Amino acid sequence: MKSKNLSEKILRSIKSKGFKVIELDPVLETKYILQRSGENFKKFLFSFYDLNGKELCLRPDLTVSSVLRFIQNKTNKKEKVCYSGEAFRKTYQKKDSFIKNQIGFEILGSNNHQKDDKAIIDTSLNILRNGPFKKSVLKIGNVELFNLLIEKLDIPTRWRNRLKRHYWNESYFNELLKRLETNSDIDPVFIEIDKSRYLKMRKDNQNKMVAGRTYKEILDRFNMKINDPRKTPTGKSNSKIIKEFLKIKCPLEKAPKVLNEFFKKNKINIIVGKGFFPLSKNNNKNLRIEFSAANGREVEFYSSMIFSIEVKIRSKFKNFISGGRYDQLTTNLGFRKVSAVGAAVNMNLYD
Amino acid sequence: MTKNIINIGLPSKGRLKHNTINIFKKKKLNIYSERGERDLFGYIKKLPNVKVIYLHARECIEQLSLGNIDIGFSGYDLFKESEINVQNKILISKKYNFGNANLVLAIPDLWIDVQTLLDLDEVADEFKKKKKRLLRVSTKYPNLTRQFLYSKGVTQFQLVQSLGSTEVSPFTGTAEIISDITSTGTTLKANNLRVLKDGEILKSQACMMVSKLSSKKKGIKKLLNLLSK
Repeated sequence: MKSKNLSEKILRSIKSKGFKVIELDPVLETKYILQRSGENFKKFLFSFYDLNGKELCLRPDLTVSSVLRFIQNKTNKKEKVCYSGEAFRKTYQKKDSFIKNQIGFEILGSNNHQKDDKAIIDTSLNILRNGPFKKSVLKIGNVELFNLLIEKLDIPTRWRNRLKRHYWNESYFNELLKRLETNSDIDPVFIEIDKSRYLKMRKDNQNKMVAGRTYKEILDRFNMKINDPRKTPTGKSNSKIIKEFLKIKCPLEKAPKVLNEFFKKNKINIIVGKGFFPLSKNNNKNLRIEFSAANGREVEFYSSMIFSIEVKIRSKFKNFISGGRYDQLTTNLGFRKVSAVGAAVNMNLYD
Repeated sequence: MTKNIINIGLPSKGRLKHNTINIFKKKKLNIYSERGERDLFGYIKKLPNVKVIYLHARECIEQLSLGNIDIGFSGYDLFKESEINVQNKILISKKYNFGNANLVLAIPDLWIDVQTLLDLDEVADEFKKKKKRLLRVSTKYPNLTRQFLYSKGVTQFQLVQSLGSTEVSPFTGTAEIISDITSTGTTLKANNLRVLKDGEILKSQACMMVSKLSSKKKGIKKLLNLLSK
């Protein structure tokens, strides 16, 4: 009952900011979850097959259901929506419930990114204001800054793509940085051995397929691989720059200055203005707002702004609201591009 | 199952069965069946409180976790493939020098541009971006394969459950690459497949395992000691 009242209070707070309540399907096709979050997440799904052999699952969170609903409505009109309900995920911990109570709110099909990013953060702060928490911290980051930095560094293209792709997987990303430092990538012995086969394949029909790839695709990539510089003399220094960048943490109002000094020191041509951040003022004494370059690295589908609000409960800070912009999500699911920004409230915090 | 009877699960076919029976023979414990070779139950004359049950090697692991058998012989690969909740209920008592095989990741030999997992990661990314679908990995070992690929940074893939003849999957349109168990690599080679340079997922061998639910059962320790010598 307590939880129901709280969720109604939060929904009221969200609706007061112009968000419309929607109902979401409890069941969706498993392939969408696989495309968004991969096999590692899929193992937590409650899935089953329908009579046509299609794999379905109980919704593991509400975001995908909401985005699918928007796509299926075939509209391009901007929508501000909110929803609440249960999501279902398997758990290996006896204490954890497989039912997750969630409240989410989103702006879909938005054209003015900055304005809508700000609206999502403002709504989150409004929920925080109406909540029982005394101390809190709002952390803001932006993946675009990291991508910009990588583009400006002098490293081979395949390394650039690799680092961007694995930004989300911190432990593997660190392993990649080590490899970048030592140039351990291509084995010259193997390249030599396969060159003879390469010449044979080149004479053959280029449209021939081998396990889903044409000869042309295989040979083009082989070519690209041997032509891309094997060693990068700046590997060590670039790795150091990336590591230092990801350590940047400062009060949000100082972020442009700190970032610009960092880029200047490392002779990187990037200038960050105040407008880059969706928030500048803080009127709440009990709220600390900070910029963190590595904020939200664990959630792969965000494409630029990422934020989280942590609240102090019994001397520990715990995640209360998290969100960000996910403009690539619909294309990852195999649909047209829809710009989207949103956030989710962790209702289990109240349990 | 009767309380005082110790149930031993043995692989029901193949070299694993043969080699496991030899362990008993070496201890002068001859296993006999009452209804001939196809009988899936066996007994040991010298040990009247022991019942032998022939099971699929995978089933051995499941039954150990449920406590339906007390001691079981199976492959380390199958133990590691089982769910963590199952593994937590089983103890490995002894590893043997037979049933040696490796679980590996193999690709079509003609994918000459792919030598390592770093390459595979790039090809998987190509599949997602250009072909708008995930790279498919056919396997009888979804858990180990998933863990391994994620630990090596390959995340854009889809697992396809294989029930047998996994090696043909890349050439029948079922999947692009496979992970499978191999001891000499001959079958992979014969099917135009090649193991990735850093594609070894797990080294496996035959093991004697005991159900944690049975560890206090009368006579278990004595029997384990006898079989372990």
